[in-house]
Amino acid sequence: MIPVKEILLPKTVDEVCRLLQNNNGLSKIIAGGTDLVPGFHIESPRFTSIERLIDINNVNELKTVSVVDDHISIGSAISFSELISNPVINEKLPLLAKASRTIGSTQIRNRATLGGNFINNAPCADSVAPLLVYDAEIKIKSFAEEKIMKLQEFLVKPYVTRLKPDEIVTNIIVPNPSEKFRGDFYKLGRRRAVSISRISLAILLDVNNGLINEMRIASGAVTPIGSRFYDVEQFAKGKYFSDESIKEIAIKLGDRILEVSGIRWSSEYKIPVVQQVCYQLLKKIERG
Amino acid sequence: MEIRFTLNHNNVTVVVEPNLRLLDLLRNKFNLTGTKEGCSIGECGACTVIMNGKAVNSCLVLAGQCEGAEIITIEGIDKDGKLHPLQVNFLKSGAVQCGFCTPGMIMSAYALLLENPNPTEEEIKDAIAGNLCRCTGYKQIIEAVEKSAKEVER
Repeated sequence: MIPVKEILLPKTVDEVCRLLQNNNGLSKIIAGGTDLVPGFHIESPRFTSIERLIDINNVNELKTVSVVDDHISIGSAISFSELISNPVINEKLPLLAKASRTIGSTQIRNRATLGGNFINNAPCADSVAPLLVYDAEIKIKSFAEEKIMKLQEFLVKPYVTRLKPDEIVTNIIVPNPSEKFRGDFYKLGRRRAVSISRISLAILLDVNNGLINEMRIASGAVTPIGSRFYDVEQFAKGKYFSDESIKEIAIKLGDRILEVSGIRWSSEYKIPVVQQVCYQLLKKIERG
Repeated sequence: MEIRFTLNHNNVTVVVEPNLRLLDLLRNKFNLTGTKEGCSIGECGACTVIMNGKAVNSCLVLAGQCEGAEIITIEGIDKDGKLHPLQVNFLKSGAVQCGFCTPGMIMSAYALLLENPNPTEEEIKDAIAGNLCRCTGYKQIIEAVEKSAKEVER
């Protein structure tokens, strides 16, 4: 049973903010609906109190990709299909493009949006690991104010973010990645299409004269929410890139995930696999 | 709420409950029962229709979100009473078994051919990855789409 009693169709962010003013939790923004509508269908307790939906599909300013000075600004209501076919995203943020291609099916990618992917904050959200290694920030607006926050800070715990009921995420802001970085994204699901991630990993790597100058690594689905592993990154920094050293990095990553997530029924499978994925990805990135 | 949109190339105006899904609107108000309800959570693709030129799961779209949209269902792809090449080739290739997934499959393929008139086998597989066929007649389905691409192109 879908509890919705009203759907509003604003055309501008200002209108959305006005509609969200004094929101007591009965109003919710809907974009693609690919999490919300199945959530209604299975009567998820997260959604049973929603009476009013604010559809943002007609807000064109939320669907643009623009390059401003040293960063790329992505509208939160851009669909994954639009992201995948966007030349700027493919050129500047290839890991995000690759992750987007692995999400759902054509039908899902045509509706699901980048903002919706992390605002729902499911552990398996595939865009999160790439956005984290790119150091993404998000712009949040309400009627009264506008602020910018690091994505990692915004994500609190599974299905919980810092978004207040009267706020909307309008943009994802990604600093132009250094051209020295090469990287890759890997997703493991139970099948190839329409699959929920069991393990995902995003890595950016800058190797200079055989030395790891900088490595950035983030995971999805193996930790309670998508996370960067700053201590593993520190551990890698300054090491000679060799078969031995990347094995050590992979082992360190597995240890760290165990620390964060604790031992679960799936750990016996997931930890060795995530270590192997990390090792293979590093090798593949270095080979070019 | 009152919504206006085009349905199979005709302008329509209809009053809907805000909690109605596009799928229910098509099947129950317009009697367009070619669009099927399978899983209801966006995984099986049986309810696929075209919305503004793109394949979507009509079980995940609320009718109230369709204001101004262009919707095409399996009932809207024939021309002058003649079946669309996809429909003809699905029949010819034995791509229809129980038939439940067929309308969704054809709509996904239809959306593919709108964007890419000459798809590779991989592109076809990718386009129908969100459509489940439990009779597992995928090979014939892919063949039917390949044949249709050649005909539609001409």
